[in-house]
Amino acid sequence: MKRGGLQNYIIRRLIYAFLIAFGVVTITFILLRIGPSSPADKYLANISARTQNPARVIEAVEARYGLDKPVIQQYFDYLVNLARGDWGWSFSTSLPVIELIRRHWIYSFQLILLSMLFASSLGILIGIYSAVKQYTRTDYIATFFSFIGISIPNFWLGIMLILVFSVQLGWFKTYYDTGLPMFSLANLKALILPVITLGTGMMAGYTRYARSSTLDNLRKDFVKTARAKGLPERVVIGKHVFRNAILPIITIIMFDLAGVVFGGAYLTEIIFGIPGLGRVSFNAIFANDYPVVITITLIGAMVVLLTNLTTDIVYTWLDPRIRYD
Amino acid sequence: MAIRRISDIFGGRRHLLFSGLLLVLLFVFLLDLLVIDHIFGPFVYFYLFFTLLIIFYGIYPLYVNRRLTRYYWERTKRHRLAVIGLSFIIFLVAVAILGPFLTQDPTEVDFPNKNLPPVGFSAEQAIYDRNTGNFITTETPGTWHHPLGTDDKGRDMLAMLVSGTRISLQVGLMATLIAIFIGLIMGVVSAYLGGWADNALMRFTDIMMTFPFFLLLVFIVFIFGPSLWFIILAIGLTGWTGTARLVRSEALSLRTRDFIMASKSLGASDRRIVFRHLIPNVLSSVIVIATLSIPGVILAEAALSFIGLGDPTVTSWGLVLHAGQRSLDTAWWIAVEPGIMLFLTVLAFNFLGDGIRDAFDPRSQV
Amino acid sequence: MNNAILQINELKTYFFTRLGVVKAVDGVSFDLRKGECLCLLGESGCGKTATALSILRLVDSPPGRIMGGAVMYHGEDLLQSTGARLRQIRGNRIAMIFQDPQSSLNPVFTVGDQIMEPIRLHLKLGQRPARERALSLMAQVGIPQAKERMKYYPHQFSGGMKQRAMIAAALSCDPEILIADEPTTALDTTIKAQILDIFRDLKQQKDMSILFITHDLGTVAGIADRIIVMYGGRIAEAGSVLDIFDRPKHPYTWGLLNCLPTISERREKMTPIPGVIPSLIDPPQGCIFYPRCQWHMPVCQEKRPEEFVISGEHIVACYLHK
Repeated sequence: MKRGGLQNYIIRRLIYAFLIAFGVVTITFILLRIGPSSPADKYLANISARTQNPARVIEAVEARYGLDKPVIQQYFDYLVNLARGDWGWSFSTSLPVIELIRRHWIYSFQLILLSMLFASSLGILIGIYSAVKQYTRTDYIATFFSFIGISIPNFWLGIMLILVFSVQLGWFKTYYDTGLPMFSLANLKALILPVITLGTGMMAGYTRYARSSTLDNLRKDFVKTARAKGLPERVVIGKHVFRNAILPIITIIMFDLAGVVFGGAYLTEIIFGIPGLGRVSFNAIFANDYPVVITITLIGAMVVLLTNLTTDIVYTWLDPRIRYD
Repeated sequence: MAIRRISDIFGGRRHLLFSGLLLVLLFVFLLDLLVIDHIFGPFVYFYLFFTLLIIFYGIYPLYVNRRLTRYYWERTKRHRLAVIGLSFIIFLVAVAILGPFLTQDPTEVDFPNKNLPPVGFSAEQAIYDRNTGNFITTETPGTWHHPLGTDDKGRDMLAMLVSGTRISLQVGLMATLIAIFIGLIMGVVSAYLGGWADNALMRFTDIMMTFPFFLLLVFIVFIFGPSLWFIILAIGLTGWTGTARLVRSEALSLRTRDFIMASKSLGASDRRIVFRHLIPNVLSSVIVIATLSIPGVILAEAALSFIGLGDPTVTSWGLVLHAGQRSLDTAWWIAVEPGIMLFLTVLAFNFLGDGIRDAFDPRSQV
Repeated sequence: MNNAILQINELKTYFFTRLGVVKAVDGVSFDLRKGECLCLLGESGCGKTATALSILRLVDSPPGRIMGGAVMYHGEDLLQSTGARLRQIRGNRIAMIFQDPQSSLNPVFTVGDQIMEPIRLHLKLGQRPARERALSLMAQVGIPQAKERMKYYPHQFSGGMKQRAMIAAALSCDPEILIADEPTTALDTTIKAQILDIFRDLKQQKDMSILFITHDLGTVAGIADRIIVMYGGRIAEAGSVLDIFDRPKHPYTWGLLNCLPTISERREKMTPIPGVIPSLIDPPQGCIFYPRCQWHMPVCQEKRPEEFVISGEHIVACYLHK
């Protein structure tokens, strides 16, 4: 990449990300519109018990949400509102959606962050070790466990952990206590089971990536050169192999967010009663509180988008083969 | 002779026959929809369609290329784990087909017998004794009448698990087929057409991939309602992106390979190249991806049922788990049993998929 | 005769694969003398690379294993040394460079770093003196603008430059012996010549012993003092460069030399050696060249030929010259 090439790349990538964001929002809108029941029906379903005059309510809702206007107009309003930060009103909680999110995102964040730290540090270490000691018993055991790890349904794992450790052994509470201060040891303890639940599946996957990436690099010629220079094995692996293997590993981990992490976090929050965005969205579904559901889905997509963007740029920046061309 | 002419148009007798049968099926379907009421349920058409597809385009080619099939089969067999996985899957298929005839009705409630533990275990139950006004705890052992116990409404666990097997396998098979089908078409078309079509399709794929899979699934179920039909469709419609990407990159690398160029120089048409050359070569990867996607699909359906967004009229493992969560302290088996089934099923498919992948990879020495 | 600084005795290296045991190096013995360039010549698969790797115990140890023999260096058997002692010698007293410089250099570190690595490790120099030394090495091997190029990454170099960088790294600690495994095979012809010049200079100016592995007769002619012809994991013939080119004695060597198209002769056809390279799994108990040899005799099939002396240092493993 020529000088300034990195900058150009970043700009192009940002534009692309913006287009994707646009696409995401549009698809969401389309999905909503082609659904069998209109948002007004859902809203109505919620409050119909409390009103004598459904027709008037429908009118009011339609006016408020602009549902009587033509579709294109609705689309533009929708876009503008999203951009402006007016994400709707959650009638099941009587809060603006944006406020609801503000109050709850931190719980999801801490869960996901801790799980990823747990999963990636252990996973990568085990993966590299497994690759270096290929064909030994340790390797087979680690591989076997990673098979198990990716096969266990993570929601079942959560329940089993609760069964054993909370119900039978009583070591942990069955339900997350939100009263705990965030940076306390008690909070950490309360998060142990959820993090294990969410992290195990992730870790098993990461172990596989780390192992295969390391194996790929162990076969390369520069490893032989490093050894021929008389470098101790720990430097050969720890410096030469590691620096080549780690970049693809981290990239895959980051790009995997959309598939594994969010779905798992959603379920984990529900099982353990952690009031993160997943749980909020879940409650909103059963309350037919559609603005919340839409917004949280969009937030999920946007986080994935941002993560992909950042990972892409960082990877380009870090890999000398791309940067100095 | 006329048949020969017609079949040439279609590209072969096989295709002609397939199209013919498909038309018959379509005819019956339309009849069902518009004229007579409900000859068959909607699933039957799905089944028949996919059965036809598999027979004509799966089994027949395999049969004709016996040597090739046997080669790959030999290589797969060497993976002990893959064989174990396959055996378990066959067992599951047997259970799914024969099970409903051998077990009780999974939806039959039987309150007096609720919360029975599996055979060999016994559970404490607190039963309210009207006479004394107290709770008496008694030990209730499991019985062979309900070998795996009952749930909190007295439904037989074994029957429910069998039903769940059927559901999971159906969902797994059909949703995966949909996803693979879409992914295959997208990938191959995109790679073959190139240019702006490729660009557009890939941007679309990128957009779909940006949605977190499960969130999107939940969203769709929220909008369209939790019927099994829709769930299968939804999973299929959200899970094709990985396949599309992989197929496209394989097809792209194949496209510039010499045998495609040779074909073109011999005057083969685009469509012919796509169908006779590109697709078969990509197929081996597709089979691997398909086998490895099935567990994800099964888990997705189970997760949906577990949180209550599944089809409530259908007894799937997820649904049982859902019930099980409430009774963790009183009836732990309700949660443990379906989970074990899920786990083993997913494990089996993962083993099998891994073995197949190694078998198809020319570089690995099996 | 005995200024041999490296003595290989009956080296055996086998590779244990699913298809069987590949006897890649099956009883190879030779000396490397001070200041000489010894070429290991042979086709692919004859065991020359495996031999070279075995000297420094760089053979990939799951499939491969050194089964026997000794590698004597200054009175020490390298095959028995401890790991620590071996690492002291690698890159320091005995250095090795490989065939493909693109894959032999680590793509994520600068070339300068990679040249300085052995300097800092073995000579224990600090950052600044190590860099100075690296710069002078780069100049020696003919890399222009060394100061800027130090900060470049391998992919920014051309093939010839990369190989020069590898050589610079190998020479960094002034080794006594340089093992070069097909260093010019992956390069263009003009670059080949330049790299060979570097080797010639090394031999002359530093009195360095070079073990040069190649399959190309032209290269051998340009640089070798002595030649060892290998076939099927064994030595077929060995001798000075004149011995081998002027008066070859082994049927395989005849075949090799006959294969060469020459400007001076007119021929109707090229004459390749009939047959195929043998599999090294389960080699026969007799001469391994037997099936392809036009002059074979019954005894050739029964027992493996020893190395018969023709004259001086010219030896042949063939019953024709018993």
